[in-house]
Amino acid sequence: MTAEDEFNFTEAYEEVEKINEWFQKEETDLEEALQKYERGMELILKCKERLKKTENKLEEIKKKYAPIQSVSPEK
Amino acid sequence: MELEAGSKVKEKVFSVSEYLEFLNNILKNLSVTIRGEIGEKLSKYPGYTFFNLLEKEAVLQCFVHKEAIESAGVVLEGGMEIMVKGYPEIYEKTGSLNFQVEKIELVGEGMLKKQFEVLKKRLSASGYFEDKYKKPIPRFPEKIGLITSAYGKGAKKDFLTRLGNLGFNIMFYDSRVEGIFALNEIVEAITWFNQNLPNMDAIVLTRGGGNWESLRPFNSEEIVKAIFASKIPVITGIGHENDNTLADYVADIRASTPTHAAVVLTEGWKKSVIFIGGVEKTFSSLINKTFLDVKERIYLFENYFISKIKKEINIQSENLKNIIKDLNNSFQNYFRKFEFLQREFVKNVSRINISLNTKREKVKDLSDSLISNNERWLENKKTILKYQEEKLLISSPQLKLKQGYSITSDEEGRIIRQLNKLKASQNILTRFYKGTVISEIREIKK
Repeated sequence: MTAEDEFNFTEAYEEVEKINEWFQKEETDLEEALQKYERGMELILKCKERLKKTENKLEEIKKKYAPIQSVSPEK
Repeated sequence: MELEAGSKVKEKVFSVSEYLEFLNNILKNLSVTIRGEIGEKLSKYPGYTFFNLLEKEAVLQCFVHKEAIESAGVVLEGGMEIMVKGYPEIYEKTGSLNFQVEKIELVGEGMLKKQFEVLKKRLSASGYFEDKYKKPIPRFPEKIGLITSAYGKGAKKDFLTRLGNLGFNIMFYDSRVEGIFALNEIVEAITWFNQNLPNMDAIVLTRGGGNWESLRPFNSEEIVKAIFASKIPVITGIGHENDNTLADYVADIRASTPTHAAVVLTEGWKKSVIFIGGVEKTFSSLINKTFLDVKERIYLFENYFISKIKKEINIQSENLKNIIKDLNNSFQNYFRKFEFLQREFVKNVSRINISLNTKREKVKDLSDSLISNNERWLENKKTILKYQEEKLLISSPQLKLKQGYSITSDEEGRIIRQLNKLKASQNILTRFYKGTVISEIREIKK
């Protein structure tokens, strides 16, 4: 498993949203803002990479059909 | 007894019951679906029902358990057109053929609607459609279990086309979605995903539009129970002109068509593409804004600070000026007072000097006067003394005695000046300048 696979888009996205909310506040501490900005941009980059990975994987399930049988009511 | 052992069977002599058992074992595997009309005469018992399935002149006697009737959701009546699924069996006691009905399916839109309403009411009362059981799909679903037909009218194609390429991981389970095998396969597919790929984000159960007949599997009790039991959220995308199917009611999310099911799954992703694109710019402008804000704040603070300091300095310097002024005034007053005092002092010193000199002279005069007075006084006293001495000398008894006077006294030495205390024969002493005589008084003459 590569590091890229471990990346959780949902978590990253939600963190970006939180950072965005944080930035909308009236008062922001410069040092914190810089940290959040850096973190935000890092996550945005990863999210963008994930969003670029556009090819869907389609796998057909190889199943063995059970022998034809009638459906019996559950009751 | 195996069919394959045909040659042996030919040679075998059966008993009647053995032969019926032999036949029934073969017949049991001939599961089929038969369509027909229910005959007018039905024999209803608490646990089962007998009826005839008719087609023109043909008759098939059927036996059905009450569970299969209940599952069909309607009351069996003569003249009703149905499809029965089951297998043939020869009833040992009569030797007649019975069709063992395992499942009854209704035929005709009217009947299907009736069945739908009955089932819907019953399943709804049992709580299958309640919102509290509905499971949400993740905001960004990735792993999707797709259940549909590979050969359908395009539900799969529509779904995949609309899904776009967003990196989905789609596990496709090919299942018939119409016809007598559909229900079984769909139920199997839902179960298969839950058993083999339980970490799927969602199962999409989809097919194209159809009439009541073709949608029959989606309006069955079995599919409702299978969807309800699924731990993986199920999205239905069953395109049809009519109202919802029972599968739609029980589904965690109901999409109207295969395309719509894809929209539901891509919604979060589409928004995220826009959000991520926008937020990158926003962050840059926000950090710039933060910088500008801080710069502005520093600038404002600087100005404020400088003006405040200036003001403070002005106040303090004004205060200092006042203090110095006050101090100057105080000093000047002090100096003036000092000068005055100094002058006064000098004046006083000279006055004191003068006074002192005067006093000194006075003392000298007094002293002089005192000395001269003293001498005079002494002289005076000497003269007085001499006079007194001379006077004293004149009055002295010795002198009198010398001059020839004598002094008479009694025997005790008391000087006698008068005669009244003297008696005759009393001795008296007479003192002379030189010596004394004792005499006796002879006579007193007065």
